[in-house]
Amino acid sequence: MEITGIVTADTTFFWEGCSNHQLRFQKCDECGYVRWPASIICPKCHSMKTNYIVSGGEGEIYSFVIYHVAFNSNFKNKVPYVVAVVRLEEGPHLLTNIVDCDFAKLKCGRKVKVVWRKIGEVTAPYFK
Amino acid sequence: MNYTRIRKLKDKYAIVGVGYTPQGKIPGRTAMSFYAEAGANAIQDAGLKKDAIDALICYRQFPAANDEPEATPYLVAQHLGITPAILSQESYCPRHQFIQAVSLLEAGFCNYVLIIYADNAVSGKRMFINEATHSESPAYNFAYGEFGFVADYAMAARRAMHQFKTGPDTWKEIAVNQRKWANLNQIAAMHNKTLDYDQYINSPYLAEPFRRLDASLISDGGRACVVTSVERARDLRHPVVAIMGIGEANPSVDIHQSAYMSGPTGAKKASEMAFGMADIKLDAIDACEIYDCFTYTVEITMQDYGFFNPGEGNEFFKDGKTAPGGKMPVNTSGGLLSEAYFMGLTPITEGVMQLMERCGERQLGEKTGTNKPEIILCSDNGGVLQTHSCLILRRL
Repeated sequence: MEITGIVTADTTFFWEGCSNHQLRFQKCDECGYVRWPASIICPKCHSMKTNYIVSGGEGEIYSFVIYHVAFNSNFKNKVPYVVAVVRLEEGPHLLTNIVDCDFAKLKCGRKVKVVWRKIGEVTAPYFK
Repeated sequence: MNYTRIRKLKDKYAIVGVGYTPQGKIPGRTAMSFYAEAGANAIQDAGLKKDAIDALICYRQFPAANDEPEATPYLVAQHLGITPAILSQESYCPRHQFIQAVSLLEAGFCNYVLIIYADNAVSGKRMFINEATHSESPAYNFAYGEFGFVADYAMAARRAMHQFKTGPDTWKEIAVNQRKWANLNQIAAMHNKTLDYDQYINSPYLAEPFRRLDASLISDGGRACVVTSVERARDLRHPVVAIMGIGEANPSVDIHQSAYMSGPTGAKKASEMAFGMADIKLDAIDACEIYDCFTYTVEITMQDYGFFNPGEGNEFFKDGKTAPGGKMPVNTSGGLLSEAYFMGLTPITEGVMQLMERCGERQLGEKTGTNKPEIILCSDNGGVLQTHSCLILRRL
């Protein structure tokens, strides 16, 4: 499946990190808030002074759904599959897939860790 | 927040006309045709001449199906042959139409506001996938197979299952109770189809934990209404249905980063504003018309309004308490789940029609073994729980 347009001007740093298997997030230089989605300002204090942290790639499933229907023909061979929001230990909530998992063991709060897979033009974070 | 300063708006503005169109699966028609028909019918229903309309507010404009023109408010006004002083249309579901109408009327910019939503979603094969907007690029979401509203609301419902006692046992009550109302409503898509618990449980999963029967309908058609002052409403043809209270809240954060998906959602703050304005408590409410894009939306909205504590939804909805004959009727047209999908105008216009006593077989009161309503609580929400609007209607 050919996918382009994942990287935006705001997220270049994120995908550059991913290509080196690093999960990078912006951290506010003023108040220390670690933010996602990427933004030019800190939503807590509006400072534009920004640094980056590299996440340890560990977190827990905040919530998840199991797609039983392919809403796009490219996903016909993939259902059922799991789309989840993972809450990383550093704070950000990231939309991702839980891969290689036993559906019966999925639950909110379950610990997960990042794994890397190539998708289209980029290397992208998945969790298991 | 102290809402006494908006109390001066209580019972000052009214909804005076409702416009319907053929609805359900109506092939061979453009979205614009439903806009024009719904708008014209609301004006006629109010007993007004079209030139009286000096404000037009349209619900969200979706990308046009096929090669149709976009249903912009300019074109809607052109089709209706009106040149309103005020013209507006939302882009991404902020559900602000009624507060906007009341504010414009109060400020004196206009006298009669026409509010419309229409679409040819069935015939135009709208999937409500590209219509969802997220904090990441569309390609990002596509890469992870994240498609649209069903899964997004299912994500919220799943988190709720983790936070408090809820799930299919609660949601089936909502689906079944609403279907019973639809069975009394000739224009409901599900009028002739009964629903029991087994059918609900056997309904296929779309995005687990949601089954097909947790999801709202997709409809061709339109709905509209006219808002003006209570003073003017008294000279018009229908019983006066006043806006007793209105409130709005916008938690705004995308479901992908939301920490409020299992409540309190915007429903809590919006209802505090509306009840603060109306200066009443929950026990004054006779019936509810709740925006029900999914079964869970009804549960979390009513939970946040304070009808029951987190996890007590099953107890609240069971034994047909919200069905015909129940103590607290909810979604008396069948709602978005079983009547038709016209955004917040499905619940709000139903509230108006009930208070005007124009609901035939499904009319609240003696006919359906329920209390005769004086005050009906309506809700509307948009995005994925990102915005909420609460409206308390009262028959004067």
